[in-house]
Formats: sequence, C-alpha cells, structure tokens
Amino acid sequence: MSGQKELEFKGYAMTDPSAWSNLTVVPFQPKNFGPEDVEVAITHCGVCGSDLHTLTGGWGQANLPVIVGHEIVGKVTRVGEKVKDIKVGDRVGVGAQVGSCLKCRACNDNYENYCPGMIHTYNHQYPDGVKTQGGYSTGIRAHERFVFPIPDKLESRYAASMLCAGVTVFSPLKAYGCGPGKKVGVIGIGGLGHYAVLFAKAMGAEVWAFTRGTSKAEDVKKMGADHVVDTNVDGYWKDLQMTFDIIISTVDHFPAGVSLRNILSMLYVHGKYITVGLPDVDEPLPSIHPFDITANGCLIGGSHVGSKEDMMEMLQLAADKGIKPWIQELPMKEAGKALEGVKAGKVRYRYVLQQDIAPVA
Amino acid sequence: MSKSIQFKGYALVDPSNWSDLQVREFKPKNFEPEDVEIAITHCGVCGSDLHTVTQGWGESKLPLVVGHEIVGTVTRVGDKVSEFKPGDRVGVGAQIGSCLSCKRCKMDYENYCQESIETYNGEYPDGVVTQGGYSTAIRAHERFVFPIPDKIESRDAASMLCAGLTVFSPLKTYGAGPGKTVGIMGIGGLGHYAVLFAKALGAEVYAFTHDATKVNDIKKMGADHVINTSENKDFHKDLSGQLDIIISTRDTYSPQTPLGDYLSMLFVHGKFISVGIPNADNPLPQIHPFDLMPNGALIGGSHIGSKKECLEMLRVAAEKGVKPWIEELPMKEAGTALRNLHDNKVRYRYVLSQDLA
Repeated sequence: MSGQKELEFKGYAMTDPSAWSNLTVVPFQPKNFGPEDVEVAITHCGVCGSDLHTLTGGWGQANLPVIVGHEIVGKVTRVGEKVKDIKVGDRVGVGAQVGSCLKCRACNDNYENYCPGMIHTYNHQYPDGVKTQGGYSTGIRAHERFVFPIPDKLESRYAASMLCAGVTVFSPLKAYGCGPGKKVGVIGIGGLGHYAVLFAKAMGAEVWAFTRGTSKAEDVKKMGADHVVDTNVDGYWKDLQMTFDIIISTVDHFPAGVSLRNILSMLYVHGKYITVGLPDVDEPLPSIHPFDITANGCLIGGSHVGSKEDMMEMLQLAADKGIKPWIQELPMKEAGKALEGVKAGKVRYRYVLQQDIAPVA
Repeated sequence: MSKSIQFKGYALVDPSNWSDLQVREFKPKNFEPEDVEIAITHCGVCGSDLHTVTQGWGESKLPLVVGHEIVGTVTRVGDKVSEFKPGDRVGVGAQIGSCLSCKRCKMDYENYCQESIETYNGEYPDGVVTQGGYSTAIRAHERFVFPIPDKIESRDAASMLCAGLTVFSPLKTYGAGPGKTVGIMGIGGLGHYAVLFAKALGAEVYAFTHDATKVNDIKKMGADHVINTSENKDFHKDLSGQLDIIISTRDTYSPQTPLGDYLSMLFVHGKFISVGIPNADNPLPQIHPFDLMPNGALIGGSHIGSKKECLEMLRVAAEKGVKPWIEELPMKEAGTALRNLHDNKVRYRYVLSQDLA
C-alpha cells in the first residue's frame, strides 16, 4: 500500500424524511475491507430515479441515515490481495449492486444481478451488519465483481450514469436481441429512455421514441431516434400495430384507468415489452387480460440492472462509438436541487454530481 | 364424385339455454380451388366452446355450431390443392383462415395474422359465418388442414388440434427439452397435454393441481413431480428459481391469486405463459414491476399454433406414442359434455363421435 492518506468516508445523507431533499454531510462506516475488495475515492455520481424513490419513501421507509447514489465513478485507492484485474490508480465505476452470493446458478451464469442474495449499493446491509451507503459521498468499497474499469476513451462524467441508467436498458436490449434488422420502441425519454435510444441505435436497431408532447422531439432526433411519436396524440399506436421486437418502457408512474393493451398491440409476434421503470410500491401495472397478450403472443417482462459482463460490453461499446449521454453537472452539495429537478421532470436528461467534500488525488 | 354432403350440426340457438343444442342446417364456406371438404367423424370439446356458448367471451353469432378439434375424411378437394386427396384422414383446428400474404403468414406465424379467421363464430370476407365441428362436415383452405399420421387414431388426434397445439407451440417456442424444467399449472384438457408433450420433448415436469383426486393420474401421465397446491400453500418457496417455463392453463383468476409467487419459481428470464383465456371480465391479478424484477421474468400469451408446429406435434405424438386421456360421447350429447366441462368433471377431454350422418 502506498503512503497516501487514508480515505475518510463521509457523504450527503438524509437524516429527516420530512425534509427528504435536505441532505447533510455525515461520516459513515464503510464495508469492512476484505481480500477481494476495491476501495474507490469518488469523483462523480449520477442522480438516479431510484435515489428519489428511496428518499421520498415511495419504495418504503429508508434505513436512516441514508446516503443514496449508485452511478459512481472514482479512482482506486486500495485493493485487496486477491483482486486480480484492478490496481491502485485505476479509474473505475460502481453501479446499483455491490454484492451477491457468487456461488448460485445465477451468479455462475453471469446473472449475478438476479442473485437472490444480492446486496444493493445503498439502503441495504452486508451479512456482518454493516449498512451499505451510496455514492453521494467521498468513497466506497466493493467486491471486485461489482467494480468496473472505465475505458480510457470514456470520460468519467459520461461514464457515471451509464452504471445504472445505461446498463439497466443495455441489459434487456442485449438479452432480447437488439441489433440490425430489429425494431425497438422506447417509451419515456428521461435518463433511462435517452440511454435506450443511444444504445439501441449504437447496436444497429431502428428506433422509435415515444414521448408526451413535442418538447423533447428535437433533442430525441439529435440523440439518433429514427422516429419520434407524440403519445398525447389520440390513437398514436394504430399505425404501429405488430411492429416492435422490443419495447423498453421507462414509465414509472401509471395513472389510474390507463390500459397497456394499445401499447402491447404494437409488438410483433413474441415481441417483448420490458418495463425498467419501477413505480412506487402502491402503483402496480395497469390491469392485463390474457386477451391483451394472446393476439400477438407477446411477453411482458422486468429487468434488473445488468451483470458485470453486460457492463463491460456496454462501456466498451460506449467508448468505441463515442456515446455521450446528455447530462447536467452540479456540485454534490446541490444534490437536493438535482433531486427536486428529477421529481419535477425538469432534468435534460441526467444529473451528474461532482464530489466536493474531499479532493481526490 | 361422392354424394354431396349435407352440412348440419348441433347449434346454439338460445344463449340462456346454452347446453341445449339444436340440429340446424348451415351454409358452409363457398368452395374455392384451394379448399378441402371433410366429412367429420370426431370433434373434441374445448374450453373455448364453453366460453363461447355461455357468452363469456362476448356475444356470439346465432345460430352457432361450435367445435374446433375436428377429424374426418376428405370428400372433395379444389383443383389447386396439392397436399390432399379424397379419402385422406385429416384434421382442422381453431383457425380456418388468414390473409396468407403478410409477414406473419409468410414466417409460419399465421396463427398471429391480424386477419385470422376462427373456425367458428368468425366470418369470411364474403359474409359466410364460420360454423364448427359439432357437425357433419367442414370446408377449409388447405393451409388449415392437417394430415393425421397413420399411427394416431382419430379419436386421439382430435383434441390435439386445439388443446395439444395450444400448449405444444409455447413449449417448443420457449425451448422445452432435455435439461429444461417445465411447470404446468392446472391439469385439465390443456394441462394434461402440456404434461404429455413436455415429457415427450424431454423436459423435467412439475405439475401443479389443487385437486387431490387428480394426483395419481398425473403421475401416470408422466409428470416427474406433482404438487397439490391446496395442501401446500408455500409450494413456491421450495421451487424458487427452479423452473425455465411455466405453462398456465388457468382460465379463472381472483384478485388474490398469488401470481408473484408463481413468477418467483422461474429462473432468470424464465417465461410464464398463460394459455388459459378467462372470460372478458376476468383479468390477470395485478402485478407490479417489482414482481418481475427479481428474476427478469416474463409473462406471455400464446395463440394456438401454426401448421408447421401442428405437423411437428403430430410427428412427436406418433413417434413417442402420446395418448391423451379422453372420454368419448356421441355428438348428440354435446350439451352434457359442455355442462360437465363447466362443472370441471371431465377427465381430461371429451371427444364427440359424429352421429348425424
């Protein structure tokens, strides 16, 4: 180990749920360092919808104090002796998962993001009782399997939000065969949705972007979407019956009375509607009748972040194709402002926070 | 040429007496060069027949002859027909027409054509109403007629043409075979075929039933494991992440049906395929994206199968000696069959023997 000063772990935490966007700096206990662990001094962290759902209580009461943030980039300060592919000084990322059992069928099949024993990057707990705290902070420790080297060509501020938003859409696009000759629909062009457009295009598909109104249409075309559909227009689905191989839905709010039937009718035979948007716990999907999924034999699926295999492939694709997300940068002390901006639907299209509690050498 | 066939069948005339079917003559399809005419010997009784006559799926045409698990003998072929000749033993299933020119029809997905015509309660472009197999005869375009292998008896083939195909198609599509584990929920007509065909394809099979009286039968059908869901409420916990495919034949759901528990039995990206179609006012229980997230599972539907799949199913059935568990009745007792089906009394499929001509 070099003689550099030991990393001090502190971050912007919620301590009072009634003032959920009022985050104050607190010190916290990091993961107990083990031989397969990597320690990272954080430079950037993206602001994810999950952060909002967690702090507002929409996903249940958080364990206080809680530091959110799981789109983390930084510099490696320490590695355990069994760490093979990462060294001190490397530029790396950490996403929404920091642990899994590493021995079940899912973990062995490169599906660690579906391990029943998965550990989330924040608001969760290690078996030894240490709480997981996220990336609106100075540092994090994680098992090597959940730490991702960033390709040189990819800037940290761009890589950050790929680590949750990017991989969350990349994983199902890849799993369900997005590529040349395929038709992909993306519903909702926010953080997740804009990444789905960027990646689906980079993978070679023809892309339709669905957005309410026209305010985002110009941006979405610049992102590369082949077609932009205004979902406020009555009957927008009618000319698109039986079209899509994949629809990625990033919608995380379903007003009462909405039906999925018209959206599902836009899928081709055995097409997949994958919902990556996760609403509050009291907001289920609209009612589905088997009639809705029988006419085209379509499927409705969920997806959870991505594996390390997905992540590395995605980061390489981003580096090779020069993929740049549309981000708005803020100093980390303005995390509350960013969260309010996400809540109000104002962000274009992802906030990235620059760590400002302690300098990173 | 043989004597011209008289088309008549046991028809629904009064939905408030849906099991009281009356013999009625009907107008068959106008005969075209690609058509095959069939003198019917057998017709299976399908859940669809019941949902239709009870009006559960919506208002039906009247009078209406149902039945779409049809086997018979070819009496006449149009001059563009290449696959069949008079005397052949053939079957017809739940679909009788499609556009034959769209992408789906050309890719062996004619069962998903948007202009699909159903074997009964549908309508040809020229206005003729389609009438089903509780009758003396039917005419169909060659694409929707299936040759029956010699090794399969007519009475066994009949119910394969809807029930068998409806489960065979998703089993095949989603990879049921050696090394795969398939769960089947609900062991009635569809479900028992799912057990038989999943085993014939080489998969390991878990059968789920709430009916203790069926357990021994299901073992004899070949299921590797039989789970009585009314005895063991936590059945899903022991099977967490174990199944690759679940075929659900349930055709009723209550809001309390624990769909999330069933989904938890799937391995990563496993598929829960609902082939049962409830009444129009009975949707799936509500699901939250959180139910689909832990394993990236998918919930899907499926609609009968293509001719290509049907021929493969019949080939597998002939090769592996798949024999359905049927109860035979003369066709005049169709009403009894429907009432018993309604009361869940059939073990496991009724097949009617045509008795009008």
